[in-house]
Amino acid sequence: MMEIVRDHWHYRRQIFKLANTDLAKTYRGAALGWAWAFIKPTITVLVFLFAFTVGFRSGQPVNGYPYYVWLITGIVPWFYMSDMLTGGAEAIRSYPYLVTKMKFPVSTISTFVSLSKFYVHILLLALTVLIYFIGGGRLDLYSLQLPLYMILMFVFSTAWSLLAAPLSAISKDFSSLVKSVGTPIFWLSGIMWNPDTVDNKAVEIFLILNPFTFLTSGYRDVFVNKRWFWEDPAASIVFLVVLALMVALAVRTHNRLRREIPDVL
Amino acid sequence: MCCNADATHNQTLTPDTAIDTSEYAVQFRNVSKAYKLYRDDKHRFLSIFSRRIPHHLAYANQDISFSIKRGEAVSFFGRNGAGKSTILKMITGVAFPTEGEIIVNGRVSALLELSAGFDSHFTGRENIYLRGRILGMTDQEIGRLEDTIVEFAALDEYIDQPLRTYSSGMRARLGFACAVSIDPEVLVIDEALSVGDKAFQKKCSAKVREIIAQDHVTVLFVTHSTGIAQEFCTRGIVLDKGHVLFDGPIAEASAFYENMLGK
Repeated sequence: MMEIVRDHWHYRRQIFKLANTDLAKTYRGAALGWAWAFIKPTITVLVFLFAFTVGFRSGQPVNGYPYYVWLITGIVPWFYMSDMLTGGAEAIRSYPYLVTKMKFPVSTISTFVSLSKFYVHILLLALTVLIYFIGGGRLDLYSLQLPLYMILMFVFSTAWSLLAAPLSAISKDFSSLVKSVGTPIFWLSGIMWNPDTVDNKAVEIFLILNPFTFLTSGYRDVFVNKRWFWEDPAASIVFLVVLALMVALAVRTHNRLRREIPDVL
Repeated sequence: MCCNADATHNQTLTPDTAIDTSEYAVQFRNVSKAYKLYRDDKHRFLSIFSRRIPHHLAYANQDISFSIKRGEAVSFFGRNGAGKSTILKMITGVAFPTEGEIIVNGRVSALLELSAGFDSHFTGRENIYLRGRILGMTDQEIGRLEDTIVEFAALDEYIDQPLRTYSSGMRARLGFACAVSIDPEVLVIDEALSVGDKAFQKKCSAKVREIIAQDHVTVLFVTHSTGIAQEFCTRGIVLDKGHVLFDGPIAEASAFYENMLGK
């Protein structure tokens, strides 16, 4: 653990530089370049809006806010998390030369990849706030919670990447497994349906244990539901426990595999 | 065939030290390196969760000890698989010893497989910056080296083209130019002098000679050609099957190696 923290401190300058480089790499070579950071999520959001308001004829306002505000405030954090779910797991695989060709602390790869995706998230979030204003939202005390949820989401996703990237580097099966669970997680975590309206004990417990639900609901609590994180202490505590477990597991895996990764990559 | 997976990891790598007065650039103390071989990738994956998965340890280096003084130029000889590249990788800090201790003093610049180690999405010039940033240099520092590197690599207008459009010779030239231009204190060269055409090889040799002439730079060399080695180095280490067989003056080491191959 200390070693990971030390590496991050020593390489702090490189981490920020490499995050910029990673961002440039993602949008390089396409004529529209940067615009893709917006085009892809916009299409997804429009398709869901169409399906739910026109197709299923649901899409009722939530807590006085239009349905599209409710949808976007939950799906924007998910875009980042789903990016990290697969991209974070592939972090080491996409920078093999940092591992096998030069001396570079492997743990920081997850961090700069996560940071690069987080920049995109911040841009999309700015757009979300704009849409929230258009939908009749105003800044209020609840907005103060937003940085908290952003940090929690960043830490959670980075820890996931620290855990998954070495496993993914060693096992192709693991990386395929990760790619196939994205869609199930999306539909099971109450991102497209309101987890508050669930009326089934087992499902409720599953949602409380689910960190993705906690984070997307957290964003919605800020914008739409107007709830404080301490109003549901059970969910907050469970999330912190899950997060701590994730970090502990990530550190353990990292220590175990760090020296082996260059040998197998 | 199962062996202990808890081998002691004793390693002190301090390439960031700016000023170092120690006499040795590289020290190996009873270093062994074993690669864990599993029956297949499934077993390797399971080994993450259990230490009881059967595996076989393949030793690339066994009980290697040597000390290389600052400013020495040393050549490593050996057949394929003798463990030369593993030693260089451990000096570079890319691979980790299974047992023993390695001490490296000074900024290491490695020429391991010259054509690799760049990001093919970026142009040559961007890769120079990427390399420098990874090493922790500021953009100004890199800017000062940029012209030297561009000039040495002699890639003309290709320097601003993405690396995926490069031939392997062009990549090697850029790799060599980067490695020799960043003021290395320990220069590790793995079969690198045979890149590019005759003219570029000559340029490389001249540059390496210039670096060796600076008395604080340590050069470590892997080559199959005893001729090239005798030209650059003063000392030779002959390896076979992971063991050091001979360590001494370059002429004797070359003779020993030639003799070993002759058998």
